[in-house]
Amino acid sequence: MMSERILRIAITALLFTSAVPSLSHAAGDAAAGQSVFKSSCTMCHSVQPGQNKIGPSLFGVVGRKTGSEPDYTYSPANKSANLIWDEATLDKYLESPRTVVPGTKMTYGGQKDAEKRANLIAYLATLK
Amino acid sequence: MHPRSLKRLALLGLAAAALIAPAGIAHAQPAAPAVKVSHPIPQSLRNEHAEDREKLELLSKRPGKVGEVARKAIVLFDRHAATEAEFIMPPLTLLPVLADGKVTPDMEWAVAMTDRVRAEREQIFQQHVEVTDVLNQLIEAAEAAKDEDAKEFAEAAAGDAMNDVEILEPAVLVIGDYIRMKLAAGH
Repeated sequence: MMSERILRIAITALLFTSAVPSLSHAAGDAAAGQSVFKSSCTMCHSVQPGQNKIGPSLFGVVGRKTGSEPDYTYSPANKSANLIWDEATLDKYLESPRTVVPGTKMTYGGQKDAEKRANLIAYLATLK
Repeated sequence: MHPRSLKRLALLGLAAAALIAPAGIAHAQPAAPAVKVSHPIPQSLRNEHAEDREKLELLSKRPGKVGEVARKAIVLFDRHAATEAEFIMPPLTLLPVLADGKVTPDMEWAVAMTDRVRAEREQIFQQHVEVTDVLNQLIEAAEAAKDEDAKEFAEAAAGDAMNDVEILEPAVLVIGDYIRMKLAAGH
């Protein structure tokens, strides 16, 4: 009886823990994320399809493979990173780009505020 | 407005400051850090920097956030410019001679500089990150103030900052490797 309760608690805790990252992204406010984008990203990134600036277009970035935007000259590091820009990867990358992709040419120090990152990712997810 | 690197303009500012320092400059910006410049940088870069430094100085005198951020930018750019003037850009002066196929032992100074660029690449990149950050702030301030001029300047400068990362610094490394290889081969 006791061990069954402990097991249930453990399972509940496990489920909760594994659900936290996706919950935090799901809770992201896309409108607030657009504001973060405007202040941190627009200098180098367009949200228009195929419009590459200093950085690649971020239209459709969520779900895209690293180094795959056509007609953009990626760093070798980004090209060979072989990652999918899902929410979890973006979260880590946007927190510290050079940690996730050492050698990336993106001169962005990262967004350390988890809520702002979640909002930004929520906004990026709307770009499709 | 030419697309010029703010970092480069800072470099020129540094060079200009070194040239005219004895006469003094009457402005409110912090003095550029003292740098021992043992070799010059390419003249074209110096000219670019002169134009851009002038522009940044103008922005720094604007009221409100644009001026405030521009003043902050100058400090960062001067610091990065010191790095560039000290050991990143001087080897570029050798390019025309190298392109003619000439390598001589008196070019060895450049190898020491390019080795330093390689060793400090992450720190140099971090300076670019900080410059990008301040340019983002400048754009944000410019948009809020409806200052298209400042916005265009910041965007162009960001483009040139990427030029440094993509082209200029790798080219400097190649120059060093090339000279070392040729000198070792007895050229």
